[in-house]
Amino acid sequence: MDVALEKQLREDETLMEKNILVTNIDKLLNWARGHSFWPVTLGLACCAIEMMATGGPRYDISRFGYEVFRASPRQADVMIVAGTCTRKMAPLLRRIYDQMPEPKWVIAMGSCANAGGPFVDSYSMLAGVDKVVPVDVYIPGCPPRPESLLYGLLQLQYKVSNPAKVRLMKHGK
Amino acid sequence: MENKVLREQVEKLATQVNGEVEEILGELILKVKASYINETLKGAKSLANTPCDFLHDLCGLDAVDHLEVIYQLSSLRGPQRLRVKAIVDRENPVIDSVTGIWQGANFLEREAYDMFGISFKGHPNLKRIYMWDDFEGYPLRKDYVTEPIEVRNIVRTRIEGE
Repeated sequence: MDVALEKQLREDETLMEKNILVTNIDKLLNWARGHSFWPVTLGLACCAIEMMATGGPRYDISRFGYEVFRASPRQADVMIVAGTCTRKMAPLLRRIYDQMPEPKWVIAMGSCANAGGPFVDSYSMLAGVDKVVPVDVYIPGCPPRPESLLYGLLQLQYKVSNPAKVRLMKHGK
Repeated sequence: MENKVLREQVEKLATQVNGEVEEILGELILKVKASYINETLKGAKSLANTPCDFLHDLCGLDAVDHLEVIYQLSSLRGPQRLRVKAIVDRENPVIDSVTGIWQGANFLEREAYDMFGISFKGHPNLKRIYMWDDFEGYPLRKDYVTEPIEVRNIVRTRIEGE
């Protein structure tokens, strides 16, 4: 092992015994953001039922620190688009997204939010919310089970807490 | 029994308004031309023993060569049920509004206007109810062609860094 790194680790250990952790502010902020998402309740259709089930005691979303569902976009930082988004709803969806404070992320939950789902050929349907807002995580399923939503949130947590690793996976540099 | 009493009365009403009566699966159907609709419904509402005085539902129908407006009538005071069909011209779909008889027809007529383009004369607020205001066409008509998906989507270019 590298001598300098070993020395650093030893210093860290002595600090840890005094209950002190050494980190940098970016890492700390990313860790805090990734472990306490405040989702905005955007249940548009039947996927919302699964989202509610995820919030309930059986699947218990609060294990991960995500239980603070907010009815106002001003207090939220992740938007879970759960359900069918019609063309009439699209400008409103964009508006809610614009009202959220930075930093913000979007999860598209279910087939309809991903790509229009079974209604994609209808006159009123928007084929995926990524036409309107930038989506970070797509969760497939019709509707996805609560486990899927939790897994999607954990993927988002990984993305938020390790921005460098995700950039490497995506672009290879 | 009930049906027989109702049928007699409906047949009497049909002769007044030049309508036809038929029975399908135990359901009485009275077909009339659009110009007689107000008379017909007022008559049905005040039938002597079996008044059909509750507007259950109102909807449009596209029968390719003509349009129809269907009124499902029933009553809160009895088991009688009656279906009135008004035949509307496809080229010039105009029919009298029944909001004067039942206030509840307001939103139902707006829906029929939205989906089939049937305009109701005398309606207090006839505009689209489901579709947005600048939507073109009447989507539930048989000859409505859905636009290709490239046109239907609101395409938004992703800003760099998002």
